[in-house]
Amino acid sequence: MKVELFYTPGCKKCADARDDLKAAAEQTIPGIIWRELNALDELNYAVELGVATLPALAIDGELVFSSLPTCRQLRRALTERRRGEHGR
Amino acid sequence: MRPVLDGPSSVQLTIGKIASLAHVSADTLRYYERERLIKPAAKSTGGYRLYERDALRRIRFIKQAQECGFNLAEIRSLLALRASNAACCRDVRHVALEKKLQLEAKIKAMKAMSGALTRLIRECSTDSGSLDDCPILTALERSNGVKRRSR
Repeated sequence: MKVELFYTPGCKKCADARDDLKAAAEQTIPGIIWRELNALDELNYAVELGVATLPALAIDGELVFSSLPTCRQLRRALTERRRGEHGR
Repeated sequence: MRPVLDGPSSVQLTIGKIASLAHVSADTLRYYERERLIKPAAKSTGGYRLYERDALRRIRFIKQAQECGFNLAEIRSLLALRASNAACCRDVRHVALEKKLQLEAKIKAMKAMSGALTRLIRECSTDSGSLDDCPILTALERSNGVKRRSR
C-alpha cells in the first residue's frame, strides 16, 4: 500500500503533521510506502488524482483526503482499504 | 506638469479619471465597490466618489488576478493577505498553486470534451444525410443509454 502526501513548499501545517501521520500509517500498515510530493513538481499527477486543495492525501493513487486528516482518520482509512483488499 | 500617477498618494481622482487610467469602466468600479474590493477615499461636496492614487494599484491587482482565473471572493482573500502583516509570500504561493491545480483540472476536462467532439465530428462524414442517421446525435444519445427514436 502507498500513501502520498501532496504539499505546498514551505507549508508549516504539512510539516507539523507529517511525522505523526507517517508514524500512524507505518504503525497501521507495516511496510507501507510513504511519499511526500511537492504539488508544484508533481502538478500533472496531482491534477490526474483530482487534487484541488493543498495539502491533500492519496492512498494507492486515489485521492482520499482533500485536507490533512487526523491520525485517527488516516488509520481508519488505511484499515478499511486493507480490509477491502483482503475481501476481494 | 507631472502626471497624476507620480503624485502623492493623497491625490484624489474622480471615478471617471481612475477608471480611464485603469482601463476599466466606471460601472466596473462601482461593481468592485459593491463586492467590497475597493472603496473611495472620500466623496466630493457634490457626492462624487474620489479615489487616492493607491486605488489604481489595487484596481490593476484585481484585474490581473481576474485574468489569472481568481474569482472576486478569492481576490478579496488575496487582498487581505496582501494587507496582512502576518502573511508571507508562501501563503500567496499556496493560494496560487491551488488555483493552478483547479485551472489545470478544468483544462484537462475541456481537452477531454474537445477530444470527444473531434471523434464525433470524424464519424460524421456526410453533409446531407437525414437527422435520424446523424452519428453525432446518435452517439450523444447512446452515451445516456437512450436509444434514438425515429421521427
